[in-house]
Amino acid sequence: MVTAEKRAELKATDASLIHRIVQRDESALAALYDRYAGMLSSVLNRILRDTQAAEEILQDIFYQLWRNAAQFDSSRGSLSGWLLVIARNRALSRLRRHNPASGDELSENTVVVASNLESSVAQQQLMSKVISALDNLPKEQRAAIELAYFEGLTHSEIAQRTGDPLGTVKTRLRSAVETLKRDLHS
Amino acid sequence: MSIEHPTRMEDFDLYALGALDDAERRAFESHVASCAECAEKVAEARGRVAILAFASPPVAPSPGVKETLMRQVIASAEGPGGSFAHAKPEPAADGGIFARWWAALLPVATAFALATVLLWLHNEQLNRQLADLRNTITQQKQELAETRHQADLIAERETMVVPLWSQKGTPESHAEGHARVLYNAKEGMMTYDGWLPSAPADKSYQLWLVPMNGAPISAGVFNPRNGEMSHMMMKLPAGVTAKEFAVSLEPVGGMPHPTGPMVLVGPIS
Repeated sequence: MVTAEKRAELKATDASLIHRIVQRDESALAALYDRYAGMLSSVLNRILRDTQAAEEILQDIFYQLWRNAAQFDSSRGSLSGWLLVIARNRALSRLRRHNPASGDELSENTVVVASNLESSVAQQQLMSKVISALDNLPKEQRAAIELAYFEGLTHSEIAQRTGDPLGTVKTRLRSAVETLKRDLHS
Repeated sequence: MSIEHPTRMEDFDLYALGALDDAERRAFESHVASCAECAEKVAEARGRVAILAFASPPVAPSPGVKETLMRQVIASAEGPGGSFAHAKPEPAADGGIFARWWAALLPVATAFALATVLLWLHNEQLNRQLADLRNTITQQKQELAETRHQADLIAERETMVVPLWSQKGTPESHAEGHARVLYNAKEGMMTYDGWLPSAPADKSYQLWLVPMNGAPISAGVFNPRNGEMSHMMMKLPAGVTAKEFAVSLEPVGGMPHPTGPMVLVGPIS
């Protein structure tokens, strides 16, 4: 049986936890960390292939959330989506030796995620769905999507990396996003 | 230069993916900056693209990350209440009585400033100690909650205890590896406690729930510190009947499906 304290923490919405962070409640940040650190750590490790760098960015993202939570408007976008976008952007910046993004990320990057990812069960279910959707893509389309998402490559850079014509790469990526949108959001 | 509304919905996803080349991206951004309707579509596309992160299994960051974060947070909340104000020095009066007074008071002012700095440093040290103590209390509260939770889980009639051992043919370095999984299928709750040697620099360990039917489900990725026990608590989909639990060695960050050698296996009898 899950304890009452733990159950309440698991049930709290992201919006209420953000509100508590604005009121300087450290336990709310700890609860959001428990909720999303695994998910973010996954994408950071996949992009960077460096546990130490991934953990530095992970800590920095949550510290930024602690400092600037008041800027986050839950009615405009989802926290889980914002966290994923920022984690990916920062990991790719680190990979490409770009400067880290500015502190305005909270208000600038509005991200709308259709699924509610506040529970680990929802995250597990979405993971199965995404893996299965990617497995169903033709091999070349999947490779193109993974190069764009996990390595941050543009059309031209993918064409250069794979040796395929630019037009072919553009068609592959367009078809891939179209199929994924249909499979994951229909 | 601004462009017309993108005509195809995929353009938004390709932009969010970062696949557009510089010129295309700049033209797209120039339009979106002045078009609320397209800005909303970009926000939705960012969400669609963001979930591709789930192509990788969840990775449990080392507990030290949360500890350091909470220490940083508590220290920032305690804070000195503002930084030292860098007061602009007053322009010195040319000679006269003020200069003489200043010369007389200078040693006193210096001693006073020194004492202030020493007191401030002492205060800072006390603040840090207080922050450490508060952090310890927060950590202990969390550990207590987890221990209570684990005790509750053990007490549940449906909870099974699964020992995991190294298998014949496992490299010698892993021969002494062992672990214990507590699994409650009804609630989908699982805890893992175990010992394994540190993983090679380019590898992570990954725990799998192997169900009676279907593909193995990742139950977490971990990197034990040398000689230390690993502890994980995971919420898995409820109602999955497990056939066995296993730990494999995978590339850093884990894989969607097991690809490396199984170093620990615990069949459910």
